[in-house]
Amino acid sequence: MRLNFSLRIAALAGFLSKKILRRSGETIPGKVLLTLYPKALIALSKNRKIVLVSGTNGKTSTTRALAQLISQCGTTVTNNSGSNLDRGSATTLMKSSEYAVLEVDELYLPRLIAETTPCAVVLLNLSRDQLHRMHEVKKVAQRWKNAVDTAPDTIFIGDVDDPFIAFALSDAQKKICVSFGGRHHSDGAVCPGCGKYLQWNSSGFSCACGLTNAKAEVNRNPGSAAYRNAELANIAGAQMGAPEIIFDTKNLERAVEKKISGISSSIRLVKNPASWSEALAGLKSANVVLILNAREVDGIDTSWLWDVSFEALRGKKVVVCGERAIDMAYRLHVAGINSVLEKNSASAFSHFASTDKVEVLAAYTAFFGLVAS
Amino acid sequence: MSNIRIIRIHNELLGTYGDQGNAEVLAFRAKFHGIAATITDVTYEQSIPRNGNIYLLGGAEDSAQLLSLEALRRENNLQEAIADGAVLLAVCAGFQIIGQSFWANGAKVEGLGLLDVESNPGGKKRCVGEVKARCSILNLELNGFENHSGTTTLGSSAQAFAKVSSGYGNGDGKSDGAVLGNVFGTYMHGPILARNPQLADLLLTRATARPFSQIEDPLASSYASIARKY
Repeated sequence: MRLNFSLRIAALAGFLSKKILRRSGETIPGKVLLTLYPKALIALSKNRKIVLVSGTNGKTSTTRALAQLISQCGTTVTNNSGSNLDRGSATTLMKSSEYAVLEVDELYLPRLIAETTPCAVVLLNLSRDQLHRMHEVKKVAQRWKNAVDTAPDTIFIGDVDDPFIAFALSDAQKKICVSFGGRHHSDGAVCPGCGKYLQWNSSGFSCACGLTNAKAEVNRNPGSAAYRNAELANIAGAQMGAPEIIFDTKNLERAVEKKISGISSSIRLVKNPASWSEALAGLKSANVVLILNAREVDGIDTSWLWDVSFEALRGKKVVVCGERAIDMAYRLHVAGINSVLEKNSASAFSHFASTDKVEVLAAYTAFFGLVAS
Repeated sequence: MSNIRIIRIHNELLGTYGDQGNAEVLAFRAKFHGIAATITDVTYEQSIPRNGNIYLLGGAEDSAQLLSLEALRRENNLQEAIADGAVLLAVCAGFQIIGQSFWANGAKVEGLGLLDVESNPGGKKRCVGEVKARCSILNLELNGFENHSGTTTLGSSAQAFAKVSSGYGNGDGKSDGAVLGNVFGTYMHGPILARNPQLADLLLTRATARPFSQIEDPLASSYASIARKY
């Protein structure tokens, strides 16, 4: 089938999905398009400058920052809603533009690199996440490395304090390795390159095989995940000719301020041990609501709760809800942290007064449910 | 016994699938039953204490599994402690390590041989999802989450740990894990002891050689009954 005809059908499908099914229309058109014209990503990438962003955590906010940077250079399309599989990318590319900044799911990154021949790719981090789907962190890193090694014209920008990123970039033809001074990685005991026990110290890691974060091309000060993502976005943006933007890193955290049941709430998306640890470390309020679901995009196995230290919650008023609230409540119980178990967020908020400030840490599906309600 | 010593082996290598929680649940339940308990973490570079009462191995990726085996081979402390009656719970990659042989990074490796099982690379389909299996020792259906590509066959002297009612278990959808005396192997994460407190109590009873009070922790019981329906 010809591309133009497929594009018309896909656009119609998107229109109908929005009008009749009241969906966002970010997935259906791309899905239809890729079914009718499997090489659509290749065709739609021609004559367009493309930048991809992937990693376990921080994809959406980094993509948003990078799209803001790149739009200084020319017309830019982006999948800023987090619809990051091949179909979401296809839907985004259906709109014409000079540039495209795409957030890409970790497992789909090799396909997107191969088919869109991007100018630049930003690799943020890799750690355990949705293991029912990703299976093993090292295997994801190996797929990335294979994709990187076969893309000689693309420049890769990556945070090599993460050994999996350092490994993925180890043989890249064009790369900018960025170090923020080294930091602990809870999945980093084994060298992804040679399988030896990885040697760590306060400034990072080094292995006899040569894998290290010590030989980065760019060195920056340590800081929060949001700060690091903003730096990486600017480094990638500079490669595309975009003038630097000083980002307010608070805006880069995926947090939403909202009144729930009349109570001022700050809702933050958390989805795996790394993002939970980052969010717990940043808690300021004495009132916390934790919402745990275990649907497909949340990760259907909750074993990882036991990989997270919840010590930051000790002494706070903690209410737990969500479809798998009991998993969380029992995990906290064993850690000696008291919590109240509730059925849903409405009943959870009944434990707080209208003058309270509540911080909400919510699983993926719960986050979008709360923010949209 | 005044204090139960729980030895969590190579958590930095065998902690990918949440199994470290087994140690915390054991210590918590021991204290609940009025017995002091300590958790000792032993890293790849350290020697494994000889005087543990319960030893724990967890799930891991291939390279980490091989490093753990290499460290375990440096000494016989674990084997000697087990010969003296200590308890071992080995999950997933840990279960494969204590068998006769397993495959990692595309090569066959000789295991510790504590259980008469052999693990082999599975087919294309990885065993991922909720698993339910009846354990005859406890006369109870256990539940957990499995996530492995290897399959395990029982040798002539091996006894299955549990009989699978849904899920893959050892890969054939019939048996899960293996058991010999106080050595327990299983593919169930969850962690298994968080979702099945009766199994935690069984391990504690075996380690202390004394029965426990029948008092129940209400939250543990409600979690166990809810998790049965996952």
